[in-house]
Amino acid sequence: MAGEVTGREASASAFDRAYRFYAAVGFLPIMLALFVIVLALFVPHFLALGNIFNVLRSSSYLVILAVGQMLVMIVGGFDLSVGAVVALTSVVSASVMAGLAGSLGGHPGIIIALGVGAGVGCGLAIGLLNGLCVAFLKVSPFMVTLGTASIATGFALLLTDGIPVYGMPKSFVNDFGRGLWLQLPTAVYVAVIIVMLLWVMQNFTRMGRYIYAIGGNLQAAIVSGVRAKTHLILAYALCAMLASVSGLALTAQIGSGQAVLNAQLTLESIAAAVIAGVSLKGGVGKVEMVALAAVFLLTLTDAMDLLKIDPRVQSIFLGVIVVLAVAVEELAKRRMTLV
Amino acid sequence: MSELGIAVRRGRTRRRPRLSWAFAFVLPLLMVAMELAVFSVEPRVLSQRNLINILNQSSYVLVFAAAQMMVILTRGFDLSLGASVSAISVASALVMTGLASAGAPAWLIVVAGLAAGMGFGLLVGLFNGLLVAGLGINPFVVTLGSLNICLGLATTISGGRPVFNVPDPFSHLLYDGTFIPGIPVPLTLAAIISLLLYFVLGHTVFGRSLYLIGNNPRAAELAGLPSKRYLALAYVCCALLAAFGALMLTARTGSGEPNLGGSLMLESIAAAVIGGVSLMGGVGGILQALLGAMFVTMLSNAMDLLEVGGYVQQILLGCVIIGAIFLDRLRVTRS
Repeated sequence: MAGEVTGREASASAFDRAYRFYAAVGFLPIMLALFVIVLALFVPHFLALGNIFNVLRSSSYLVILAVGQMLVMIVGGFDLSVGAVVALTSVVSASVMAGLAGSLGGHPGIIIALGVGAGVGCGLAIGLLNGLCVAFLKVSPFMVTLGTASIATGFALLLTDGIPVYGMPKSFVNDFGRGLWLQLPTAVYVAVIIVMLLWVMQNFTRMGRYIYAIGGNLQAAIVSGVRAKTHLILAYALCAMLASVSGLALTAQIGSGQAVLNAQLTLESIAAAVIAGVSLKGGVGKVEMVALAAVFLLTLTDAMDLLKIDPRVQSIFLGVIVVLAVAVEELAKRRMTLV
Repeated sequence: MSELGIAVRRGRTRRRPRLSWAFAFVLPLLMVAMELAVFSVEPRVLSQRNLINILNQSSYVLVFAAAQMMVILTRGFDLSLGASVSAISVASALVMTGLASAGAPAWLIVVAGLAAGMGFGLLVGLFNGLLVAGLGINPFVVTLGSLNICLGLATTISGGRPVFNVPDPFSHLLYDGTFIPGIPVPLTLAAIISLLLYFVLGHTVFGRSLYLIGNNPRAAELAGLPSKRYLALAYVCCALLAAFGALMLTARTGSGEPNLGGSLMLESIAAAVIGGVSLMGGVGGILQALLGAMFVTMLSNAMDLLEVGGYVQQILLGCVIIGAIFLDRLRVTRS
């Protein structure tokens, strides 16, 4: 090891400067910036306003989902049920709204409130189930959330027989789902507000610190008087509720409740968190980075769409990028410990 | 998870990681009870044909559960298992149909199909193993990546459509031929694989090392074991077993299916864990994989016979998975 270090000293100053910049800004923003510049130069229509809106809108669903996933990953777990929660929320809220349309036809506000409440309630229930199992049974979150994912998907399909649910109030779909506020899709505002709230929570509240502490060193956190179980459950509940919010926004945009929304959502949310440097061992992760990573993933997909790359081949790219991002980060970490 | 893991490990290291007598019998008893309960409503469940059907069906599940077990023993898992099965099925079917239309002799077609499938599996295994062991990247991320890559490959090379007309000799060899008279081929193959794995895991340095790596990676390193090489080899074994399972399935359907492995990833992990292979590494063996595979097959067979809808089956499977973790917890805390 020693020989390696002295060998590198010749180029150390240039490398050091580059590295300090890298360490200060982080890997992801640099990559995203480079990426956008390259795309803007070479891909036609990439900078068109319509396209940018499109990317922002479609990434806001993933942002909401991925920041929830991040919370759970910081406490050292992960949640395989977020995709199923999105589907269940979509179906339940749409069914409630469609079912109430007859009796409460004149009050779309009440219908929407009840539908949203039912959807978020489903998320909360599944999140609590996940959290309680992980906190009190101390079992692997992998298996618990795998089980709840299966249960939630089963219920979503059972409720609808796999048929989309129509009949939601027009204002929910047109004003919220497909509407624009100040020229921007509404989902973008929801995502931005959620990211800001979580940023405040992570940086300025006791709860944010506790969540890091639990993931960093559970025993130490307990000894220091952190109510670990409460915060574990809270993280899982928040994650599932955020998945519900994402599901509601998606439902509003699509205009129908669907039990099969996107099978890849769960894996994409984990991929976004992992690319953002959230450690699977817990204790590490920043909400702003996760949001950036989700935008990055969707920018990549959008660019490939514009370049008319077959969606099947896109899946290969996504796989390579996930592994590459983590491999580069791993190697950079090793270099840092050497220098 | 890691810290919770340590908390659990302490409880476990005090005793040998071996199933206590009572818990070794829980799953078989459950199976018998389930079959008897179903028998009272639907007598066909214990007919000879259905029992053979269950055995045949569980042969496939066993191969995939055993594949998954190899990496779960080292505290990892392989999310790419289902996607790689699809890709291997399509690739080998394309090779075979291509050779068949070129008029190659039957033996060449079969050998080329086997080689293509196992070769593809080897590549997937090396990719996973080298990145997990060599670079030390979390298996979740690595296999998530290879899942996407395999999924893309499977649909790209097949154009998203099944590859029909897999030559009959291939199906004879791995599905409906006679290997040992009176015993279905899948069952024979699963039995051979089980015996092989029993020997490898119990009686070779590589096999024993997998348990140590799963139980205590640091100790394995300090004991001077080539941990990284063994870890990579575990992923290669997993992918090769999955590839063999994929070939068996391809022989059964007679076509290369780009979505053959859809639910296999979760099923294989669920079967292994229900059987008693611990996700925390170092606990389990081929017997546990076998029990888990049998249980999962019997459950879905019973529900099919009772005409339980597919959606309800999914809900019940979720409940069974969570129930299995309860059992696992009991096993650990009791001892």
